[in-house]
Amino acid sequence: MRQPKIIIVGGGLAGLMAAIKVAEAGVTADLFSIVPVKRSHSVCAQGGINAAKNLKGEGDSTWKHFDDTIYGGDFLANQPLVKGMCEAAPAIIDLLDRMGVMFNRTPEGLLDFRRFGGTLYHRTAFAGATTGQQLLYALDEQVRRFEAEDKVKKFEGWTFLSAVLDHAGVCRGICAMDLKTMEIKTFACDAAIFCTGGIGAVFGRSTNSVVCTGSAQSALFQQGAYYANGEFIQVHPTAIPGEDKLRLMSESARGEGGRVWVPKTPQDPRPARQIPETERFYFLEEWYPKYGNLVPRDVATRAIHKVVYEMKLGLAGDPAVYLDVTHIPREVLERKLEGILEIYQKFVGVDPHVEPMKVFPAMHYTMGGLWVDNENQATNIPGVYAAGECEYQYHGANRLGANSLVSCIYGGGIAGTAAVRYARSLESGCENTSPAVYERERVRQQDISDALLNQHTGTENPLAIWREMGDVMTENVTVIRYNAAMQKTMAKLDELSERFKRINLQDRTQWSNQTLNFVRELGNMLILAQVITLGAIARNETRGAHYKPEFPDRDDRNWLKTTIASWDAGKIKLDYEAVDISLLPLRERKYTAAK
Amino acid sequence: MADKTFIVKIKRQQRPDEAVRWEEYELRYRPHMNVIICLRDIAEKPFTRSGSESTPVSYEANCLEEICGACAMIVNGKPRQACTALVDDLEKPIRLEPLTKFPLIRDLQVDRSSMFENLKRTKCWIPIDGTYDLGPGPRMSPETQEVGYALSQCITCGNCLEICPKVNEHSNFVGAAIVSQVRLFNMHPTGAMHAGPRLEALMGPGGIEDCDNAQNCVKVCPKGIPLTESLAAVNGQVLVHAVKSFFRGS
Amino acid sequence: MSVAATDSKTSYLLDKLQSLSGVIPIGAFLAEHFWSNSYALVSVGKYNDVSRELQQIPWRIFVETCVLFIPILFHGLYGIYIWWTGKSNAIGHPWMANWLYVLQRWTGIIAFVFIGWHLYTERFLGHGVTSYADVQRSLLNPWYLTFYIVGITCASFHLGNGLWNFACKWGIAVSVPAQRAAGWFGAAVAVAFTFIGVAIVLALHYGAFPMGSYVQ
Repeated sequence: MRQPKIIIVGGGLAGLMAAIKVAEAGVTADLFSIVPVKRSHSVCAQGGINAAKNLKGEGDSTWKHFDDTIYGGDFLANQPLVKGMCEAAPAIIDLLDRMGVMFNRTPEGLLDFRRFGGTLYHRTAFAGATTGQQLLYALDEQVRRFEAEDKVKKFEGWTFLSAVLDHAGVCRGICAMDLKTMEIKTFACDAAIFCTGGIGAVFGRSTNSVVCTGSAQSALFQQGAYYANGEFIQVHPTAIPGEDKLRLMSESARGEGGRVWVPKTPQDPRPARQIPETERFYFLEEWYPKYGNLVPRDVATRAIHKVVYEMKLGLAGDPAVYLDVTHIPREVLERKLEGILEIYQKFVGVDPHVEPMKVFPAMHYTMGGLWVDNENQATNIPGVYAAGECEYQYHGANRLGANSLVSCIYGGGIAGTAAVRYARSLESGCENTSPAVYERERVRQQDISDALLNQHTGTENPLAIWREMGDVMTENVTVIRYNAAMQKTMAKLDELSERFKRINLQDRTQWSNQTLNFVRELGNMLILAQVITLGAIARNETRGAHYKPEFPDRDDRNWLKTTIASWDAGKIKLDYEAVDISLLPLRERKYTAAK
Repeated sequence: MADKTFIVKIKRQQRPDEAVRWEEYELRYRPHMNVIICLRDIAEKPFTRSGSESTPVSYEANCLEEICGACAMIVNGKPRQACTALVDDLEKPIRLEPLTKFPLIRDLQVDRSSMFENLKRTKCWIPIDGTYDLGPGPRMSPETQEVGYALSQCITCGNCLEICPKVNEHSNFVGAAIVSQVRLFNMHPTGAMHAGPRLEALMGPGGIEDCDNAQNCVKVCPKGIPLTESLAAVNGQVLVHAVKSFFRGS
Repeated sequence: MSVAATDSKTSYLLDKLQSLSGVIPIGAFLAEHFWSNSYALVSVGKYNDVSRELQQIPWRIFVETCVLFIPILFHGLYGIYIWWTGKSNAIGHPWMANWLYVLQRWTGIIAFVFIGWHLYTERFLGHGVTSYADVQRSLLNPWYLTFYIVGITCASFHLGNGLWNFACKWGIAVSVPAQRAAGWFGAAVAVAFTFIGVAIVLALHYGAFPMGSYVQ
């Protein structure tokens, strides 16, 4: 029997889980990652991972987890696979536990669970305030073990440029660039799994890491992959504003009892501690008595926007509100929130044990991503699979906190298994693909790099274009969306795309040229920005994270459907697909009372 | 009013085999700046203080919240993460250099793959039977979890190797980070069953014995990991293992 | 920076022996040596009695070789090799333990040279026979005296600090408080040994017997 070849692009949680499944199936996996996989963005996930293990005697169940996820996602997610994920979650926690994740424990030595946004149950397992880091490390260690057994081969410091598609449009390999030597090479495979994460850089500053550009998704999109629900962008309600990055302040701060408030008096000059209880406006608790500070992210974000921009109650007139944990015993904070509070202290220089933190919403997550089918994580390109944040499957119109880690691991596992099955079923593997197919793709990519390197007359700075793109996207295509403003955004993106053609690389060396790589990513980001904006313009309703004041209600009659963007001869085309709602009936989503 | 500015000096080297040069940049001051913002400012306007055109500085960075470990470099003589190096707290001019204990790639970018390689050689993982459902993992007391969690926060930044007098071209010492990981896996109930091979690995050249207790590592660890405790603990474990396996056979 | 793929445990064994030899037999001998020489504080007769006693032990050359010459030579030479494998950086990073690392090396080499010279002059030139008068004659020379004081101080520091290192490197003191306690213990040893050693040579230099009243 022929031994199939599988490539995995991206070494975060999903990619590593896929690699483990592939290796476990006895197939060698080549794992490509821009950064050493242990530095992937998954490390940034702070709060925890959801699984209805019902260890607190609350009567929680996987069905309730499923219901919360669908409801939180405003019924836009296809239901069967979400149900599968929620059912698999408890076993995933057990697996991670066996892998040695240092989850917090109860006195009995069992896993401890905390409450997170969008649910009434203690369903979130956590490892201090760095759960994502701990999970990533656990998978990284397992992959390293397979690497030691020669079942996984890592290509760290390589960036994906494009898929190699044969004449029938079947994926037969990938084209990638070595970020040190800048060499462009193709690698043959029978199936490629993409776990390339988020797209934060499209919005300039976000809570995402530097590598989360969406470049790989965009490149695949331009090769014919569908991109689904791009307009659904989650804005995290609480982040620490910063010039280089908006640093997440995890939902767990609220999960452990943190309260969000502003002074009732606009521009109150007093320091937070001197403002008495009666003069504080705990707007989330007042508006959403049932869920209080733990309403889902979109609800909290819009409430903060309302308080700041409509009611003009932002702190000292700035776009910021207090997130207060000072009333929580120091011992609890140190045990459960140390990591995230440390971040605040490090970057702001103020002790959050004593002073309430100043936070504001920030772009955080894309619910949308590469379209995948309903069972195998397979994209519409044969041989191309996707898992993790880069695909659209699990979170509908809004993701619940602590659901992303579980979706990464679940999706990655499915993709790994499915890719192996597909690769084994191929009658003719990549070894029979003509070398000309690979060479053609390599030359195409080399030409793009050469053109950029040889363009000496450019005047445009890549970072400036990126910043402008980020600003206009953040302003018009995040929390509150108006069609007119988004039309202007499209015009701005067109302008930026024109200016992009006159870019000045400033670094023309052929050795670790980070500018060249960034410019290539920027080109892809500009296209993804258009996909997102066009999808948002078209969807005339309000659903989950997508909020249009001109269309303030969910419109199931017209918009209970998945947006599917495709690349049609250099133009973005939008189509729609029905949502599978076979398991849970539709109901209105509101958090002012119990569901 | 003229903008307040400050100077950043950067040790630059285009390739490992090319000459080193120091470049000076004058940057506009804003509140809450960190070294990453400085490097981005330079990328946007890559002109030195004297006005000559340069190139954007190569450096590694990813999460920008001190949890990925990428942006370690020497800031004002001390190895640390660039993202938490706040301009307000730094003596000016700010001096940036690459880590010196790892092969240089370009400018402030180095190749730390040897650390990952050493994690492999020391078998730093929990050998599970498979990913299929085998029920929950072993029980663990909250106290054990607390110690383990502290150790498992290592971001493989390499600061502890950079500062260690015993990591240099004359010695193969793996460094405190790796030793501390061995301690982590040896304390996990499942990992403890496979402590032997990890300890054996640390018995060879470059292993635990190369630590000479200068205790610098713990001073530069951005995660506050009790590295000196790990070194002592693993020292004891290796010794007991060596004695046991000599007298009783392994 | 890599764990060598070889199975060689030789370097581990040598390193452990180097560390151990500093405590046993060298440290232990130093204690004994200071003890027997402390009779110089009591009286000439007592000193000479004890010296004679020691010079007449059975298997003398064998014991000296195994307990003294080989361990000291090994500890010193292998120590120099260990020094060579490190690159101190205490100037740029002047933390306490980092300075101790540097001082351990310099005091080690000074003590090594001193002990070599001390053995040569006191053990070999005299063919293994010395008396109070012989030693006193040497110590009347101010240069000799100075060298003795420096050598004794270095050896004492090296032993005290070495005991702290030993506690850490053998996994005896693991927790930070335990390591701190071991550090204080080592400091106490260093101070005590320095005090006793210097007292002996000064007593010899001045021909004083501060504990002369012990003689009935």
